[in-house]
Amino acid sequence: MVPFELAEPRSLSEAFPLLQEDGARPLSGGTALMLMMKAGVLRPARLVSLRRLGLSEMQASRSGLVIGAMTTLRELEKSPEVRRGWPAIARTLRTLANVRVRNVATVGGALAHGDPHMDLPPLLCALGASATIAGPRGERRAPVESLYAGYLETTLAPGELITHIHVPPLDGRQAAYLKCTTRSADDWPALGMAVVLDAKKREASIVVSAATDRPTRLSEVERLFRGKAIDDELLNEAVEAARGIDIEGDLHGSAAYKKHLIGVFLKRAIHEARNASR
Amino acid sequence: MRREIRFRLNGAAVAAQVAPHETLVEVLRESFGLFGARESCGQGLCGCCTVLVDGTAVSGCLYLAALAEGAEVRTIEETNDLDAVQQAFVERAAFQCGFCTPGFVLMTRQLLDEIPEPGEDDIRHYLSGNLCRCAAYPEIIEAVQLAARKRRGGKR
Amino acid sequence: MKRATQAAETGQVGRSLTRRESWLKVTGRAEYVHNLRLPGMLYGKIFRSTVAHGRIKRIDTAAAAAMAGVHRVVTGEDVKTIVPDPYYGPAFHDQPVLALDKVRYVGEPVAVVLAADPHVAEEAAALIVAEYEELPAVYDEVEAMTSKAIVHDALKPAGTFPDLKHLKGVKNTNVALDFRLRRGDPARAMAGAARVFEHRFRTQQVMHTPLEPLVSVAECTERTLTLHTASQSPSFVRIEIARLLGWPENRIRVRVPYLGGGFGAKLYIKLEALVAVLSLLTRRPVKISLGMEEQFFTITKHASTFRIKSGVDRDGRVVARECEVWWNGGAYADIGPRVTQKSGFTAPGPYDIPNVAIDSYALYTNLPPAGALRGFGIPQLVWAYESHSDMIARELGIDPVEFRRRNLLREGRPQATGTLMKDAAIEKVLERTAALMEWDRPFERGAGTVRRGRGIALGFKACIANTASLAAVNVNADGSCTVYTSTVDMGQGSDTAMAQIAAEALGIAAEEVSVVHSDTDVTPFDMATLGSRSLFHSGNAVRLAAEDAKKKLDALRQELGLPPDTAIADVFRAKYGMRAGSIMGTGSFIPPYTPPDENGQTDNATPFWMIGASGAEIEVDTETGRVRVTRLVNVADVGTPVNPRIVETQLSGASIMQLGFTLFEKMLFDAQGQLRNASLAEYRIPGMLDVPASMVNEAVVAAQSTGPFGAKGVGETGTFSVSPAIANAIHDAVGVRLTELPLTPEKLWQKLAEAR
Repeated sequence: MVPFELAEPRSLSEAFPLLQEDGARPLSGGTALMLMMKAGVLRPARLVSLRRLGLSEMQASRSGLVIGAMTTLRELEKSPEVRRGWPAIARTLRTLANVRVRNVATVGGALAHGDPHMDLPPLLCALGASATIAGPRGERRAPVESLYAGYLETTLAPGELITHIHVPPLDGRQAAYLKCTTRSADDWPALGMAVVLDAKKREASIVVSAATDRPTRLSEVERLFRGKAIDDELLNEAVEAARGIDIEGDLHGSAAYKKHLIGVFLKRAIHEARNASR
Repeated sequence: MRREIRFRLNGAAVAAQVAPHETLVEVLRESFGLFGARESCGQGLCGCCTVLVDGTAVSGCLYLAALAEGAEVRTIEETNDLDAVQQAFVERAAFQCGFCTPGFVLMTRQLLDEIPEPGEDDIRHYLSGNLCRCAAYPEIIEAVQLAARKRRGGKR
Repeated sequence: MKRATQAAETGQVGRSLTRRESWLKVTGRAEYVHNLRLPGMLYGKIFRSTVAHGRIKRIDTAAAAAMAGVHRVVTGEDVKTIVPDPYYGPAFHDQPVLALDKVRYVGEPVAVVLAADPHVAEEAAALIVAEYEELPAVYDEVEAMTSKAIVHDALKPAGTFPDLKHLKGVKNTNVALDFRLRRGDPARAMAGAARVFEHRFRTQQVMHTPLEPLVSVAECTERTLTLHTASQSPSFVRIEIARLLGWPENRIRVRVPYLGGGFGAKLYIKLEALVAVLSLLTRRPVKISLGMEEQFFTITKHASTFRIKSGVDRDGRVVARECEVWWNGGAYADIGPRVTQKSGFTAPGPYDIPNVAIDSYALYTNLPPAGALRGFGIPQLVWAYESHSDMIARELGIDPVEFRRRNLLREGRPQATGTLMKDAAIEKVLERTAALMEWDRPFERGAGTVRRGRGIALGFKACIANTASLAAVNVNADGSCTVYTSTVDMGQGSDTAMAQIAAEALGIAAEEVSVVHSDTDVTPFDMATLGSRSLFHSGNAVRLAAEDAKKKLDALRQELGLPPDTAIADVFRAKYGMRAGSIMGTGSFIPPYTPPDENGQTDNATPFWMIGASGAEIEVDTETGRVRVTRLVNVADVGTPVNPRIVETQLSGASIMQLGFTLFEKMLFDAQGQLRNASLAEYRIPGMLDVPASMVNEAVVAAQSTGPFGAKGVGETGTFSVSPAIANAIHDAVGVRLTELPLTPEKLWQKLAEAR
């Protein structure tokens, strides 16, 4: 790693000016950032650590879960409220990277990194989560889904930070996230599939990852499911529709293979969601 | 660019001059002559550089030393006497070249603190972020189970 | 997890003694070169080629050299001031210390930046600019046979191996060695066979990934050079560095502590020549410690293509076999030619085949060099011939185990070289594997999208010849004992095994024996710790040395008129009147060997045979093509285990390593020869979650009559048969055949889709 300056602001107002200079990058858990810096892909002149900003509290209530962006993945995973209220999140975290990474990596960082192979973004998108984003010109709230512009690209403006993530309550919905690894069991996925079913409203929220340059909603499939009871025939139709999206191949699988996997994992994730607690 | 950081290392108050870009594993090696945490993959995947910071396991190769300011840092060198986990690793031949072993020992202690009676599935998941190219995995699983028994026995 | 152990604990050999270095390893105190820091030490960071094949036009090091904190930047031209002819290698003197005139693969070392701060060296290395005139490149081993792209302008055999000498100066070829074997009349037998089967198999390039990456440190005085290096072959390092420098061997000292894994990566010269030159240029200690990603550019395992053709008679007996094997050696030969020959002659498998033709070719390509990796080419061969065995058996409607039984190479029968099989428990290993697999019982085959299958495979290896090991055993005045050997403990447990062997010979407890680590100033010559040879060769040398010491002790007892059972300490006290003195026994071991003739025939091809079989039970997810190994059985002939527990862990570890090579490990190159996955994030190795739920590792009851107390090597045996056992199981489960490693889900999915 090449030398850089390290700043540890104690408030957001202290942080913003530090972040606005050229070559400044926010540092949360740093597990992804360090890799990019070690590989020489990123050579920031300054890292602005967010760990003293006090954004690591988590609150669950009837209106949902509010997660401070600096909450570690491990805290989220072990939270009894999360296990009770959003079991799919806790399950997903169990196989996300490894314990040491989860001990350090933060929820905000996991969303802001923008690597389409990550597990949390598709699930939070499917759950309808949103983020509070703070910047020098104030705060805004945006769906998690709208954070992504492309591979490692987000819609966060320079100097903007995710401060909180809001996950609506399941309210009877059923959620599942499945991933397909094609090399070692704990490899980065070739495909991620998040499904949230609302049996009451007869609606489905379905987001795919790792096969596209960003978490991508399967809107066609959702349209097919709207207002209908899901049966085998409908599922087969949905598989066809799902395979219509633009897919990118990578080291984990070709585009053709991933196209096939999308169908397989759509069915499996729906099956898993239907068996999940509400 | 260098700054002094103060922290507790294996129970003793220490200070070190560190540059912001230096990782914890480098500082342990260069400033304190501790080699039990060692960089291998450099990507937080193999666990050879495992260090405990404030009671939590981290990958020392991805952890900036400057962030250890004020923390309680513990390494495999904390003790000379073998604990239940280390004894179990010896008895079950749960290592070969030994390069990954300190990381496995530290992670196993964390696991058993959290889940005193882990099932095989718990062990495999908890230790999936530690790699052993000699592939002593079956022996490590046995050692973790034995360590769990030894710890329970010790308490009785 | 279920496992089976068998141990007969008697005496010092046969004890499952815990490893001698246990405390050091579980407390993080074991010594590795990785840890070494010396006063005034400089760190070297390597600048590497970005093209696969090119003439060096210009290397601009000015910006790097000007950077604050940079001590010096060194290129190939600077190396020449220390070593005028800076080419090294065990088989060919083809590899430059730093690239000269040409680069031959992406990642080849071109220059080194030296600085006291490794971060500075790294930053400065990024400032070096090199320009190349690109040349056509060749990557595929079969294409390399006829390609117009020639990797080396002329072949430069080292002269160490007599059978390579005739290749000196040969031009316009990428063939570093063509090994040929003929037995019987394969063409006629093939023509007369009832059925003929021909298949082609491929293996991929993979890497050892020892978790302690390659690392070497050199320090020098005005007339001496000391190398602290993570090396499996300290004696070879000394000889080769002495040759390069033109120095006598006694001015060069090579020290090796523990190794954080080796697997064949840390053999011959890797970083040693480079740090030696850098230290002599700067008169400072120099350390080069590779990052994990750099290991991929240093040494790998041969990719290979194997065409195998068999003629079978009406009774299902193989009467003729043709083997053509192409080994992708990458840009530098390393030990590839040995792989080609020493492994090549076992290409027909452990079967009694009267008519055999083998052609085995070592090829240069523009890829990172390939050398030895846990099996020395054998896993590539077994992959092919045991897949082939199953394909024939199924085609003929013969049970795969029965087909192997019918063709087995039994004790006393001639192998393809003409050497008669001896102490090779091939039949026992096959039968035990079949028994552990409950082969005769019905097998649950699964349903729906999860299909189950099982497969077995059987492989063998001839230990490398002609190699020597020496050892010394010092008996101290208190009766404790010290073993001096240049065998390197890289995790295989040699310190423990050598202590047990010495203890057994001396009639003392292994706990009273300590083992001195390789130091060429202290420990005697040993060819290298490789190819499962050490337990047999060094073990025999240690046994001889201990017996020599015992003889001298007995003579001393006699001289002093002491009864034969006088305790050792009392013998010394009687001799010296106090606690003083010591007795040094020495042992030298080189087993007999006959080099092959021009048809590959010899009456003594190897000092011992290693036999390894695997059985696999697997599940295929028919929708994704993903394979899960649910049970893996490994059975081996290791002679009489010196330490049954360590033997078991060697079999287990080797088989899991091979599981990675079988299912997913692969170095991926683009069309320009650039490696796309040079990191553990993108080159995955097996972790906890990949280990089969059930494993059995077992040594059959056997003895190697020429081994130390009946023992022979085991480090590689567990790798032999894993890959074909799994491919055979996949075929058993879903009826499709994969012929190229690794057996990825995508490949299987494609095959399944084609079969539908």
